[in-house]
This record gives sequence, structure tokens and C-alpha cells, in this order.
Amino acid sequence: MDYGIEVRDQEAVIRLRGRLTFNDHAKLRALIGEMGQNKLRRQVLDLSSLEFVDSAGIGMLLIAREEMERASKQFVLRGAAGQVKRVLTVAQIAKIVPIED
Amino acid sequence: MIGGTTQETSQATAYRARFTRLLAPGLPADRLDRLAWELGLAPATDPAGSEPLAALVTGSERNGAGLMDADALWLPPVAAWIEPPSRTDASGLARLLADAAGNDLYLNLTTATAHGLQPGRRLLAALSARLAPGWALEGDRRDDVELALHEAVSNALVHGNLGVTAMKELNARELDRFSRDLNDRLADPVLAARRVVIALRIDPAENGRPLVTVEITDEGTGFSPGPRSSSGASGRGLGLIGEIADGLEIEDGGRRIRLGFRL
Repeated sequence: MDYGIEVRDQEAVIRLRGRLTFNDHAKLRALIGEMGQNKLRRQVLDLSSLEFVDSAGIGMLLIAREEMERASKQFVLRGAAGQVKRVLTVAQIAKIVPIED
Repeated sequence: MIGGTTQETSQATAYRARFTRLLAPGLPADRLDRLAWELGLAPATDPAGSEPLAALVTGSERNGAGLMDADALWLPPVAAWIEPPSRTDASGLARLLADAAGNDLYLNLTTATAHGLQPGRRLLAALSARLAPGWALEGDRRDDVELALHEAVSNALVHGNLGVTAMKELNARELDRFSRDLNDRLADPVLAARRVVIALRIDPAENGRPLVTVEITDEGTGFSPGPRSSSGASGRGLGLIGEIADGLEIEDGGRRIRLGFRL
């Protein structure tokens, strides 16, 4: 998995690319740090270029959400498609995290 | 396609290994020739042809680099990938080949090698390549089967062979702990050398529909499947696997999982 951060006026958009699995622990840790450091209150994870996520990947997204809450930031998942959308649905993540198309 | 069920059945099991050839890209030609001769196999320099072929993972193609990344080596006629334990002689290798025989695909790899391979994705591609055209995995079902395979192999490597506990709390400190444990244990030569064995079989089931069986065995301390918990960040993904697979058996104290998929 790779990611890029784009800081806009109202929100920071973090685009994830590739496959998010247990093996991306270090990248997710770095990503959570970067989201905490930028000044914007609204942090959007753009999942439209993410091809695959596993159960540990979902867990890491939930950790990111917890850490943003701790930092009083809003955390949103956006644009999930294909396998990623399916797993988010099956795991009922929408009950915990706002999901936008 | 010519012929009916018989044709499909024989095609489904056509790659079931009675090996005739040995491929070992990491070995010098003279050593490959000698080893192949001792095993009664023909040495092969590439995976062309149609006769089932066993490939040895040695030397430079380990750790996900090099030849194991070549797509062709996951397709028929390659029917086994074996990373021989150090100092394995021909008779030791013959025993591993006997284990491999009777499967449509057999992998016997160290944790260090398997960890770098994204084996779930590879297994899905390998399975797809071995199915008759009418039974192709598509759409959601394809995604689901890939996820189940990925979760099962990840469990064997991370929780089984490396003994890393799943993330239990939803915070960055727990993510750090998981990260540290995983890196430390991969760096431990004893744990990194533990093996994972993956055996895939495609059998005709009722109505001629294929039944895919995937057995994944690790060398960890095992586990007892307990009640499912939704509080942790990563469990064993067993709930997901159970929802996707048509059959799920856990054996040998949690060191072996057998998944069944009806196509």
C-alpha cells in the first residue's frame, strides 16, 4: 500500500493505493502520525484506488479512527469500491465510521 | 470445449502431481542434473510443457524476490514449490515430493519466503488457472475466496509461525506493539525458518461441480478457536473465513485449517 496526502482548504485527503494488509503496519502508523500533525479538523481517507483490504487492514482503519477522535478530528472514509466496499459492508464499518461515496 | 463431464473431470485433476520434471532456478546446472537424477526426474530449465513439474526455491529467489514473483511459475504445469530445509538430501526431498503428490498445487515454504509473497493473491491466480473455463471465479465470489485464502495464510504466518498476538485494542500503541513484534520475530532465524505448507486440490463434487479444498499447516503453538470477539482490531479473521468458505475445519490443535469452496 502507498498513500499520498493532499491538504485542501477544509479537509486533508489521504489517498490509499494498492493493497492494505497486516503487512502495512508501519505505513499505517506513519499515516496516523501525519494525519494528527496537519492542522485540519477533517481527515478524509480516499479509498477509491485501494484494491484490497484484509481484516487487519480494517482493524488499522479503526485504530486511525480512534486516534483521530482522541485528537478531536473528524475521520471519514470515501470512495470505497469493489472488494474494499464489500468488506467494509460485511464488517458493518458504517456503524462506526462515516462512509461517503 | 470437446467432450462433457469426463473431459472436465480429467482436466480438473490433470495437474495433480506425479512429478516428471524438476526445476530449480537457483541451482547450478550440474547440481540440478545430479539432484534430478537421484530423484528419477528430468531436469527442466523452464516451466514449458504439460507434464507436472516440481520447482525448488533456493538461494537468490527467496524472500519474494526473483523467480517466485514470475507469474508463469504459479501456473500449470508447475504443481509444487518446495523450499528445501537446509542440508536436505535427495531422500529428504523425495519425502517432500511424496507429500506434494496428489495435490493440484503444493507449497512448502519458510515463513520468511511466504511472508513476502502475498500468497492469497497468488493462490487465487493459481486456483483460477486450474479451473475448467465454465467454473471460473468471478466478481464478489472471486474477491471473497481471495480474502479467505489471504486471511488463512496470514494467520498461519503471523499468529501461527511467528506467534504474534492479534491487535486487541484500538489504539496506536497497540499498532506499535504489533509492528514491533512482527519485525522482531521475522528477524528471529528460528521463527523465520518455520514452515507453512499449503495444499490445494480440486475435486469433482455433486452435480459435477468442483469442490476446492485448501489445507494450510503451520508450525506454531496452535490455538483454540474461541467465541468470536468484535472488540479487537484484528482477530484471526476466522469469522470472515467462516462466512466465505463452505467448509472450515481446524485440526492439530489449531495448526491446520482446511477450507472448502464449492464452485
